[in-house]
Amino acid sequence: MHWDMFNLQDKKGMKMKKILIIIFLGLFSTLSAFALDGNEILRQVDRNLNPDSFEMYRKLINIEPDGTKKEFVMFSVKKGKDKIASVFLSPASEKGRSTLRIGDNMWLYIPNVGKPIRITSLQSVTGGVFNNSDIMRVDYSAEYNCEKIETIDTGYALYLKAKLKTVAYETVTMFIDSEKLLPYKIECYAASGMLIKNLYFKNIKDFGQGVIRPALIETDSPLYKDYKSYIVFANVKKRDLADEIFTLNYMHKIDGLR
Amino acid sequence: MKHGFILLTAWFMIVSFYGTAVSQNTDDDLIDLDLDFKIEEVEKKPYSIKADIETKETIRFFDRDALLFKQRYLDKKNEATAWQTDLDLTIEGQFQKDFIKLYGRFNGLLYYNDDENFESERKVEEAYISFQPSFSLAIDAGKKVHKWGKGYAFSPSAFFSRPKNLDDPDATLEGYYSLSADYIKSRGGILQTIAITPVLMPVNRDINHEIGPKDEFIWGGKFYFFTLDTDIDLMFLVSDNLNNHFGIDFSKNLTPSLEIHGDAALVKDYHQYIIDEYGNTSKQEDTAFNFLLGLRYLSRQDTTYIFEYYHNGQGYSAREYETYLSLIERGFDQYLNTSSQSLISQSKTMSAYYNQQAAMRDYLYLKVSQKDPFDILYFVPAITVVYNMEDQSASITPQLTYSPLTNLTVDLKTGFLIGKNKTEYGEKINNAKVVLSIKYYF
Repeated sequence: MHWDMFNLQDKKGMKMKKILIIIFLGLFSTLSAFALDGNEILRQVDRNLNPDSFEMYRKLINIEPDGTKKEFVMFSVKKGKDKIASVFLSPASEKGRSTLRIGDNMWLYIPNVGKPIRITSLQSVTGGVFNNSDIMRVDYSAEYNCEKIETIDTGYALYLKAKLKTVAYETVTMFIDSEKLLPYKIECYAASGMLIKNLYFKNIKDFGQGVIRPALIETDSPLYKDYKSYIVFANVKKRDLADEIFTLNYMHKIDGLR
Repeated sequence: MKHGFILLTAWFMIVSFYGTAVSQNTDDDLIDLDLDFKIEEVEKKPYSIKADIETKETIRFFDRDALLFKQRYLDKKNEATAWQTDLDLTIEGQFQKDFIKLYGRFNGLLYYNDDENFESERKVEEAYISFQPSFSLAIDAGKKVHKWGKGYAFSPSAFFSRPKNLDDPDATLEGYYSLSADYIKSRGGILQTIAITPVLMPVNRDINHEIGPKDEFIWGGKFYFFTLDTDIDLMFLVSDNLNNHFGIDFSKNLTPSLEIHGDAALVKDYHQYIIDEYGNTSKQEDTAFNFLLGLRYLSRQDTTYIFEYYHNGQGYSAREYETYLSLIERGFDQYLNTSSQSLISQSKTMSAYYNQQAAMRDYLYLKVSQKDPFDILYFVPAITVVYNMEDQSASITPQLTYSPLTNLTVDLKTGFLIGKNKTEYGEKINNAKVVLSIKYYF
């Protein structure tokens, strides 16, 4: 009996120990995950923002301080982490222009010019607050490493640093809704630490096929005071895409994919 | 000239009226910012049409002492300036059904100047059918522009296209009739993309007769490689009657804001026609080597610099060019003294070679453009300099481009030619030019 009691107490103690170890390990692993998983969260955010291979329509709207508005409509296809190709559908002055990005390489095809030319991430094919990097956005995880993650009232703040110097913004702070794992604000900084622009992700919409993401990105910039820019997303659809689409020779045929 | 003013004024009024209408619509739209996620363009039609109409007023300021002015007009032109008004319409359309695409671009030009009064030109710039059975393969037949090479202002390896206009390198070109294909293979690894573009081009009295005097099929091809973040092309052209051409080009971003490109071509057994100051012509045969090296740089202040050095192995040396100008000088003296135009006429037989753009051997090209200065969106001032390294003459072109409304572009370009006597730019017909153009896209 005593032995049994002892045994029982011992068993209880062991059980308690096990529970404590599990709780400790659980806590430890959670903390470790917190410390390590900024990049995993970033990858998840990328997948939630768009499928691995998909097509979409976007309307870019630039609004000047005097209220003048310029709109551009683009059809885009994206595959993998770092390949995106687009064609302008309107306005008429831009129609047929297409862009291609493979990693850090960007090209612009202008029908008049008749051949692709290399462009850089900080240029802007549309003018206004959006630059080429915003318009030809590849996965954030392809360009950035998460250096620090913080838990804030509304979710997480990921502090991202560019993997290469070729990236448009040296550091980015991404504020994430922890439930949906989608960003609601991104601050983009230059190497000097100067804030270049803010991106606000709004209007979460179900596009079907499990794609639930913000349908609107609003931008402002201290460099363009009183200017506003918006990107409206439509028809975001999963689609299998051949690698050959993401080549210079295919740039003038992107419209044919619609 | 009066007609030109009337045409320009009428057009300006139409554009202004339309511009006001567009502007008012824009303001109305702003009240209810269109963020309802409806994008009309999502509904694709099998056909699409777009067009642009441009009116242009050009004023040329003659250099009456220039030798090319004397070659062209002798002493028969008293005006110090020439005005020309252009009305230019380009319509582009395409129709696509499954794997077949039809494409056409047509241009009509109506112009007025004092010498010719009203004249018009019409041309089919491109018209072809394209079969695209897969993402990897396309076969095109018809009139098409094949723009090869990486140069911005110069294109030594553009074997199957007409020369670019150095005043406006981005301008649309007219194509040639050809049968061509495009085979693309993309894969992982170091060599990410390979593309092969064979071209077959008939030359006869009915089509492509500008290329050569004899009936034949010329053929060639381009091999494109994308590897190590670098674009590389190998090109060739083979002909029984023309010169065989071999070329290579490359383009790469050295940093996010700095791109480097190069373009080189060998022209086998090139015949160069030379004239001496007495009007005697001779032919030299040699293999010409043409090349360019260029940079494109974007500064933190959004200033874009495009710089190119171009060596034209088919061009004339400073001495050869000066000899040609001496012939014109002697010819003009001959005309003044004897009324004979024989030497001037002899010089004119070679003008197609000597008077063409970049006729000499070594050039520097620099274009500096500033995006949105003074917080004015869609405003781009620029300056372009073409410098002839052999005779130190130059063309300097300041330019202002503004797009105040969607689909409307206003462009003011002035050109100044600078050079001593008997230099390329110093002896051009004009010493300055002003061009105002308004273009509307619809």
